[in-house]
Parts: sequence; C-alpha cells; structure tokens
Amino acid sequence: MRREIIDRLERALGAAAVTTDDTELLVYECDALAIFKNKPDAVVFPANTQQVAEAVRIANEYRIPFLPRGSGTGLSGGAMAIDGGIIIELQRMNRILSVDVENRFAVVQPGVVNIHISQAVAPHGLYYAPDPSSQSACSIGGNVAENAGGPHCLKYGMTTNHILAIEAVLSTGEVVRLGNTAGEACGMDLVGAIVGSEGTFAIVTEITVRLLPKAQAVKTLLAAYKSFEECSQTVSDIVAGGIVPAALEFMDDKTIVAVEASVYRAGYPLDARAVLLIEVDGFSDGLNETAAEIIEICRRNNAYDVRVAKDEEERARLWMGRKGSFGAMGRISPDMMVMDAVIPRTRLPEVLAEINRISEQYQLPVANVFHAGDGNLHPLILFDSRRQDQVDKILTMGEEIMRFCVGVGGALSGEHGVGCEKADFMEMVFTESDLQTMANVKRVFNPSGLLNPSKIFPTHRGCTEIGRPGTTSTEEIGKRVEKMLLGQKPRAHSVLPVR
Amino acid sequence: MTIDGITPAKILRPESIDELSQALRAETGAIVPVGAATQTFFGNPLRRADCALDLTRLSRITEYNPADLTIHVEAGVTLEQLQHALLENKQFLPLDPWNGPRATIGGIAAANAQGPFRATGTIRDWIIGMKVVHVDGRISKTGGRVVKNVTGYDLAKLYTGSLGTLVVIAEISLKLRARFARTATARVRCENAAAAAGLLSAIRSSPLNPVSCEWVGPENAVWIRFGEHPSAVDWQLRNLPAADWQIIEGAGESAEWEKLRQHYHELGSVMLRVIGLPGTVSEIVSEYKPKAWIAHVLNGIVLMAVSTSDEIRAIRSRYRVVVEKAPVEMRREVGTFAPAPAEYDLMKKMKEAFDPEGRLNPGRHVDGESSK
Ligand SMILES: Cc1cc2nc3c(=O)[nH]c(=O)nc-3n(C[C@H](O)[C@H](O)[C@H](O)COP(=O)(O)OP(=O)(O)OC[C@H]3O[C@@H](n4cnc5c(N)ncnc54)[C@H](O)[C@@H]3O)c2cc1C
Repeated sequence: MRREIIDRLERALGAAAVTTDDTELLVYECDALAIFKNKPDAVVFPANTQQVAEAVRIANEYRIPFLPRGSGTGLSGGAMAIDGGIIIELQRMNRILSVDVENRFAVVQPGVVNIHISQAVAPHGLYYAPDPSSQSACSIGGNVAENAGGPHCLKYGMTTNHILAIEAVLSTGEVVRLGNTAGEACGMDLVGAIVGSEGTFAIVTEITVRLLPKAQAVKTLLAAYKSFEECSQTVSDIVAGGIVPAALEFMDDKTIVAVEASVYRAGYPLDARAVLLIEVDGFSDGLNETAAEIIEICRRNNAYDVRVAKDEEERARLWMGRKGSFGAMGRISPDMMVMDAVIPRTRLPEVLAEINRISEQYQLPVANVFHAGDGNLHPLILFDSRRQDQVDKILTMGEEIMRFCVGVGGALSGEHGVGCEKADFMEMVFTESDLQTMANVKRVFNPSGLLNPSKIFPTHRGCTEIGRPGTTSTEEIGKRVEKMLLGQKPRAHSVLPVR
Repeated sequence: MTIDGITPAKILRPESIDELSQALRAETGAIVPVGAATQTFFGNPLRRADCALDLTRLSRITEYNPADLTIHVEAGVTLEQLQHALLENKQFLPLDPWNGPRATIGGIAAANAQGPFRATGTIRDWIIGMKVVHVDGRISKTGGRVVKNVTGYDLAKLYTGSLGTLVVIAEISLKLRARFARTATARVRCENAAAAAGLLSAIRSSPLNPVSCEWVGPENAVWIRFGEHPSAVDWQLRNLPAADWQIIEGAGESAEWEKLRQHYHELGSVMLRVIGLPGTVSEIVSEYKPKAWIAHVLNGIVLMAVSTSDEIRAIRSRYRVVVEKAPVEMRREVGTFAPAPAEYDLMKKMKEAFDPEGRLNPGRHVDGESSK
C-alpha cells in the first residue's frame, strides 16, 4: 500500500493503530474458515466510531476496498480481504456502554464478546439470548453481521430478534443511528435489513441489544440412540408434539468420540450412534411434565439411555461438550471443514443417509453435530490439509451435500452466512432476478461497492485460487480458535506461530 | 373503492401470481395494491391511483407442512383462513392485529399490523420468506422455506411495513407455533391511572411472562393474558400482584379480547402509536393526557387518541410517533412516520431503487413526507 495512504491512516488513528507488517498481517489473512486466505494490505484498530468513519473516508478517497472484522471466528470467509485492502478490526471497541435493567436492554460496542454481555447482566437476573457455540470468543458486531444463531435460538430466535437499534458507519463514512429501544420498526425495518448483511451494508459501531430475564427453571436431558433414524424421529415427534424446547441438539458417534477425547469431555456414552441434548426451560410448574413428555417420546423411539442433568454442574458439562465439539475435532482429524445448511426438519433421516453415502463415496469421514430442532445441519468434513488429494475433494463433497439439502427444500446457510465460501452456490437457490434485487439493495447501502467486496454474490472465480498456499495451516487456525474459546484470546497484535 | 378521497380509475383482480405480474407489466400509471381494505387509512395520503390491484383472489394456501411448522400462503389469504387451516394440527400464528381476522396476510405484513400479542412479537418474527412482484412485473423472492435461514439478504424485513411502496407482496412463507396449551386472562379495573401504573410496574418486575399486557384508559383497566403449559398458567394466575382480578377462561376469553379489538376502533379518529419504553408508559399517559388509550405495556408502546396536530408535534418532540389513523389533511400536515434524517434518507433511496418512477402507492410512505 502507498506510504501516503498509510500516513493518512496513522494520522487519523495513531501510528500504533495501523499495521502493514507482513507477519502481523498473516493473522488477518483468513477467519476461522482457513481454506480461503488472502492477506489484507493493512489492518487498522479504531478506538471509536469517529476513527472508523475516518478510516472509511480515507479508503473511499483512495478507492481501496475495506471491511470490518470482529473476532475472526466467522466460518464463511466473511472477514477475509478477498480483494486486499484495509481490514477495520473492531476489538478495541469492546465496552458495554450501559445497561437498563428496568427496560431490559444494553448498549454495547461491536467488539464486545458475546458472552460478556450475559456475564455483565447476570447479577440482575438477565441475559442475552443468542448463544453461538463460539460465544466465548465471537464479537457482538460479528453476530449482528452474520445474524448468528446458537442452540437456544430454537426457542428464543436468532440475533435479528434481539437487536433493537444500531449506530453504523455507512460505506461513505456517514454515521447513522437506526431503530429505537422499543425495537419497533417504523416504516421499513432498516435495522432488520442490516442484521445478517455480512458486513456488506454498513460497519456497525454500537448496538442496543434486548435482554431477557433468566428462566425460572431449566431441565437438560441427554438421550442416547443406536441409530440416526430413531434419533431423527425423536426430533420430529417433539416438534410435531407442540413442545418448544429451548434447545434440541444432535451429535453423532464421531463427534462423541472427539469430544470425549478432548478437554471438553462431557461424559457422553461412547457406544451411542447418536445422542440428543435436549433442554426445556420456563416456569418450574409444568416443566417436569414437559420433561416427562419428552422422555416418553425418546423412549418410544428406542432411546436406550435417557439422563437428566441432576444439577447445574452436570448441565454445564453436557453443554461444554456440545459447545466445544468443533474444537474437539482436532482430536480425531488434523483438519475439518465446517458446513452449514438448513433442511425441513422432517427430511433429517434421508439427508443424513445421503451425507453418509457421499462420505463413503469420497472416502472422507463426516461428523454430524447440529441444531436438530430447526433442521440446521453442520456436517464436518474431516481431512488432512497436507494431502492435496483430500483438499481437492472437500470442496466437491461440500457442494454435493449442499445440492442435496437445497433439493429437499433447504437453504445454504442457517447461521454462518454466505461470505465467499458459498457465493458461487447462491444460484442454486436464487434466480437472476432474486440476486438482482439483492444487488439493488446493496447499492443503496454500499454504492461504491468498496465495503467488503466480492462476498455473497457469485463471482465464479473460486475463492481458493486467489489464496496463497503454504501460509497459516487450517490446523493452526483450529488451535487459534480453540485457544480463543478457552479464554486465552490471542491479542490483536500477537503473531501466531506458522507451520 | 375510495382511498384518501381518490377512486382508482380501474380495479384488477389477479387470480394468480403470474396474472399479478402480467398486470404490473402492462400498467404504466400509479398502482395501488389492496388486500381486504381493513387499514387503507394508514400511511401518508395517497397522491394518485390509476389502477388498484385487489389481491383478495390470491387466496390459496400453497403449501402447509404441519410437521415442519411452516406454511406458504398467497398474499390474499386472510388471517382467519390461515388460523382455521392450522386448527386441526393445534398450531397457530400468534398475531391478533386490530384490523381483525378478515385482514389479509399480505396486508398485515405491508402495514406491519399489530395487536395485543405484540408482547410475543410482530409478523416480521414469523416471516421466513417472501415472493414479491416488482413495479415492472418482475418476480423475485427472498428468504426460503425453512425456519432458520441466512442465505442472502433478508429483504422481507424491508418489505414488511413498507406499505406496498417497494414491491407488491405476492406470497409469504411463515413459521408457526403450537397453540398455547392453555390461555387465561386476568382483568382488573383500577381506581385511577396511578393505581394502574403501580400494578403494571409490579407485573413488569415480577417473574410473570404474559403474552399480552394491556392498559386500557381512561377506564384504567389492565388486561393480562397468559398462554403456555397449563401448570405454568396456573402458577402465574396464583402469583399475580394483589388486586381484584377477574379471571376469564374458556370460550368466553377470546370473545372478551374481540371486544377489546372493537373498542380500539372506537377510541378516536386520530390515533397515534407512541414509542417509549416499558418504564415510561405511565409518564407518557400522565404527561399527554390522551382522551383514550391502549398501551402495550411490556413493549413501551402507547396507542392513544388525540385531537390536534399540535398535540402530535408536541409528543414528537420527545418520542417517536407513528400516526396510525387521522383525517387526510392532518396526515398530510404532520406525516405518518416522521423518520429521523438518516432513516429518511435511506428509506427514500430504497424507494427510488425499487420504484424509480414512484408509481407504487405514490405518496404513501416516505415519498409523502419530509424527515423530522
Ligand atoms: C468453534 C466455532 C463455533 C461456532 N458456532 C456458531 C454457532 O453456534 N452459531 C453461529 O451462528 N455461528 C457460529 N460460529 C461462527 C461465528 O462465530 C459467527 O459467525 C460469529 O457471529 C462471528 O463473529 P466474529 O466476531 O468472529 O466475526 P468475524 O469473523 O470477525 O466477521 C464475520 C463477518 O462479520 C463482519 N463484521 C464483523 N464485525 C462487524 C461489524 N461491527 N459491523 C459489520 N460487520 C461486521 C465481517 O466483515 C464478516 O463479514 C462458530 C464459529 C466457530 C469457530
């Protein structure tokens, strides 16, 4: 990047808040989807909204692409600088600005880590509901951008149901405030449009989130099965039976083995073909009956073991295994590719069978751990990035799985977003007219197209081709993510060892 | 059909989405999409109407998957028709807009119509996909047919509440929920506003989790409705803050809420939606002394009857206010939404991107007013 531009950025943000150092830039060459990489030309670390706006104005002046980045835990390449340019890293903006207990909302900066909100408001009996498995690392800004989900979104809704108002820097550098603390859309719902726009509409610099009172009581169950079919049927029966569990999660045998061999060990039965982690919450009165109904459904579908967590400690351990399951895969495979697809819940058995078939055809194992209650699959393709033959296969495999899911009436992503990973798949579900409409809306927010370019829309140039091989390994990214999840977050400036 | 004093030169009644698309392709004048016409008084005054598109014949439920809790309906399907179809599977859509069961799903979405179930959300929370027809007849879709989806931009959020000024909504996919296993309503008439405010404050700080919580004035009646597991409903009824509650259950319960719905229409000819906070509802009522009101207390929203434009301006100087209902002249004077400048600017650009010639419901949305 030209010295003149760097000077301008340094003057606006301070020299320490700008880096163009090659080794430091390596940290920013990808998000948690490590197979797609490209280094940015610079990374800036603004401390406030004005500095974000200033960086955006400078980028505009020199017509350089720019994009926001939170914690970099994204799984679709959204925070990857595919066309180079400037990454605007928001982790310094990590303050909870205010909490309104009476009216149940909090105003936070985008770099606040998801779980820190719930921790901060816990003394008031409140929490922030969306709980991505990455919640101990991912930023609320990244959650807004991806419309992140999580196990408890089954009952409580996605990020979009919990964002009341935002402050954002538009692609021109203009700062806007949208929405209101009542979450009442007046006319068009602009906040709702920005949530889930994957950092291509605006850079969100302040967020008003809804807080919920903690449920009076919670019951967590683990049901073990000898077959996928019986496990899937249980899911269908619970949903069709009119029960709305707080969470309904599926883990297969490969996942169980990996989790039990890892630091996330939860005591899952190693002889099960699959388990369901089921949680119900609400008023104490009635909860036992609901849990009993669920146990009955599990048994009817031949669950050979149904366990109810007896205390908060056991409950936490059962969840630890589920939330750590992606990270735990490192125990059974050097690399994995996390996929994300949604299918109508009733199609689970045939889709799981097809994933199995594809896995056998390509001779690469696939682990399944997912949000079964809303049909949100996460097939994890396990491979070794040092073996080119395997690397060549995973993309084709992924595409085949996607096509099948779309074929049964599903969608490309339930929570990880399209990013660059699935941009070329968009034509599987959308017509030219659909995409044209989306492009029109994008032009309203991002007329120059400089904000996070080459994402979401098909480019047909293939994400990987532009990535330079032999940089950070996927294994390394796995470790980095795991470290973040365990709370030893690498500092923004630290340089990670490169294999 | 006359809207804001304007009678469209012609009315088309498409019977399929293709016919709707052809109609839009052929028309060159101002187009006014209309559902059941239960809320045509909402929005800025219409400026022109060459062709009304009556969408009530788009009345097919195209697909219903009870086991997946999803349904796909054409825009002209009425709320009543939808709920009826869901009945046999003990499912429903928790919406009870003031404009009533005859309103069409497309109309409810376009107007973002709401009622006492506001505490559980609005139609935006239930929409999972939409098929729309653009002013030039082009058809496009957003979202999909599954309950969780982040594939591409969520344009349904923009169409919801856009009052038919961006596109004509042709088909809506919704997720559903199981009917409440049991509902019960507790109602009490308080002595005065202060007593009602005290009671509501106690409810807000209690563990109760009502699906509706309304403060109806000037009679100061408090209506609370619970809906969930029978034992949980019982517990909540037992743990109501002390007051002389009347408990309404069974067949009579819905009838009482229907009476409240009708009562809403009698509150006054100028109705505002004042957006505050749960904690400022009583302040709003005591400060502006509306003639009559219904407040969605848990959402901080007060629907109130006022008389003059000056009153509206005064409230707007402190709160966000949407004019729900007012004579044409008054709406023209004060504007329906009065968006903040940044919002106004983005909405205006959105309108221009979708409808550059301003032919869809001209004047109805931000193209009919200036920013605050
Ligand atoms: C182990 C693991 C488990 C996960 N589990 C889940 C899960 O259960 N549910 C789920 O939904 N996701 C999950 N994810 C994915 C990921 O954590 C989420 O997508 C998360 O929202 C990303 O947040 P981030 O701060 O890391 O964003 P980043 O990866 O830094 O960025 C993601 C996108 O958001 C944009 N962005 C970031 N900040 C802003 C901002 N302030 N304004 C505008 N745009 C911005 C970026 O440009 C990029 O496009 C998981 C990831 C991992 C590694």
